[in-house]
Amino acid sequence: MSFLDSLLAGLSLVANIESFLALGVGVAIGVVGGAIPGMSATMAVALTLPFTFAMSPITGILLLLGVYKGGIFGGSIPAILIKTPGTPASSATVLDGYPLAEQGKAGKALGMALWASCTADLISNLALILFAGWLASFALNFGPPEFFALILFSLTIIAGVSGNSLLRGALSALLGLMLATIGLDLVYGTNRFTFGNSNMMGGLNFIAVLIGLFAIPEIVGMVWNPKAHDGKTRTLGKNWVTFQEYKDSFRSIVRGSFIGVFLGSIPGIGAAPSAFLSYSEARRKSKNKDNFGKGELEGVAAAEAGNNGVAGATLIPLLALGVPGDVITAIIMGAFMIHGLQPGPMMFILNADIIYGLFIGLIVSSVFLFLIGSVAIRGFKYVADIPRGVLFPAVLVLCIYGVYAVNNNLFDVGVMFAMGWVGYMMVRYDIPAAPFLIAFILGPLLEDNFRQSMLMSGSSPLILFRGPITWFFWGLTCITVIAIIRAGIKATRGPVISSDLE
Amino acid sequence: MSDRDIQLRLGFGALVASALFIFIAIPNLVSAPSNVRNIVLSPLFWPYAIAGFCGLTGVGLVAAGLRAPKPQTEPEPDVDDIPKAYLRLLGIAIIMLVTVYAMPRLGLVWTCMLAFTATALLVRTSHPITALVCAVVVPLVLYFFFAHVAGVAIPQGQFVRLP
Repeated sequence: MSFLDSLLAGLSLVANIESFLALGVGVAIGVVGGAIPGMSATMAVALTLPFTFAMSPITGILLLLGVYKGGIFGGSIPAILIKTPGTPASSATVLDGYPLAEQGKAGKALGMALWASCTADLISNLALILFAGWLASFALNFGPPEFFALILFSLTIIAGVSGNSLLRGALSALLGLMLATIGLDLVYGTNRFTFGNSNMMGGLNFIAVLIGLFAIPEIVGMVWNPKAHDGKTRTLGKNWVTFQEYKDSFRSIVRGSFIGVFLGSIPGIGAAPSAFLSYSEARRKSKNKDNFGKGELEGVAAAEAGNNGVAGATLIPLLALGVPGDVITAIIMGAFMIHGLQPGPMMFILNADIIYGLFIGLIVSSVFLFLIGSVAIRGFKYVADIPRGVLFPAVLVLCIYGVYAVNNNLFDVGVMFAMGWVGYMMVRYDIPAAPFLIAFILGPLLEDNFRQSMLMSGSSPLILFRGPITWFFWGLTCITVIAIIRAGIKATRGPVISSDLE
Repeated sequence: MSDRDIQLRLGFGALVASALFIFIAIPNLVSAPSNVRNIVLSPLFWPYAIAGFCGLTGVGLVAAGLRAPKPQTEPEPDVDDIPKAYLRLLGIAIIMLVTVYAMPRLGLVWTCMLAFTATALLVRTSHPITALVCAVVVPLVLYFFFAHVAGVAIPQGQFVRLP
């Protein structure tokens, strides 16, 4: 199938009211979900997932992608108006967004956040279209040893950069891998940790684990402290962003978008580091660097470009290699699997129409984001006023229905609650949940590729180092571990030295 | 709790978990055929490898915890009344437990209505009437979506049945 054929096939899939409606509704849900303090883009995507079961694959996935895109932008609204980032990715937006709001320029800050988000989103989507196909054609040469090395590298980097400590990230990933061993053995079909329960023979349900880890801890956290996230909402003011101001910040927006694309295409880094890197680069290069942190519009633009630049790029490793770049793409990977699709290089051959349909949908999502975002900025007051004592019980009910609907199994609801408490303990002990979930998803793939490699080589471990591709990933893994350990040692020494000086 | 205490607790927890897996859980709960010639292909290999790495991570966490400086001051608690916060946690745990056991008997819709109301009361919602209305409307709307649009067989329970 030529490029044009694939493009036309994709267009025929998405050129209908249903797809555009799903995309628009998705962006709206995402913006509202991201804008509600205490919820997040991840939670919004996870809670929307069960509603896609009844849809066609392309419509369902477009709905989720819309929620993802909307959620990342939505997080910037409370970041600017009430100094509470709606998503971790919006933390950098607070630095200049809230001081602008204090000066009565919230409307200007939100307008710039929207323009920067849409520009970065478009650049990120174009990068996805350009690079995913190329990477997928390269990945067609991968065998089990190459995939084993790639997944190991992905898990290492996710464990290393998701939290404050490599060791806590590693512990989280190991627990996720252990949880993934529950069920029948892949080769011999014998029981592993099933306790003789037939519900556990197929392993734990991914959606139950996912919603348990990312939605239930928020409910438990709200029960622990019902007054958290209460804040005073600033008014929008009468200042709106002008085209000249957008032009003045354009270089920072494009730079931030490319930073987002680069960091987003590496599995595990995510949007928050990208936003902070983009912000610090903009401050370093700006004429108004002294004004950063005091209410600089360019700071808002850079932070938002950094976090939205990641949104399309995280789909590059997912679509091309079958490795999710962050938690949200892990959920989207789950959606692919529920609809009988396996993301990875083969999808570019077997389901090229769906891939190109998604690309077209993603480009359109930037337009929807601009339109819906403009309305959401003005409507935030109503979203912020939703009483948390009503919202979170509703989320609890939504979780129960959503998890039950996957397999029509009440056992999964119990699994979700159990995982919710695991997730809450992880929050209390500052253990990142992302490595846990991604290891849970990639665990069977990692083990399967390892055992296939061993079968191919007659159990010689040398096959895991058989060529330049495996060496490349092993090298990256070593560099990542060394860099993270060095950074950890520096961070530990820093406070000791400073306390000695005092 | 300081970062140092968290690190140490996690380290000891990981060591205990690793030992439990290696000496109790894996030998008793993972079965392997007796004719597997190579250990790396055995269903036991992967769980043992993960448990081993878990132990190593535990050692690392303990070592990092011991190296970390002792905090000068205790971090401030995130809630005003800690005993009440723990009581609320117990409350939500009971709600979850009762939900799981009530679903097959009462059905998903009625159980969810009760769970909604109980959770709203637990956090002492400032909008009790809205909460009560939502407690009835939200499960019903979700029931009609999943049962009649998505075609999911929602359990009805033994008492009141919905169309």
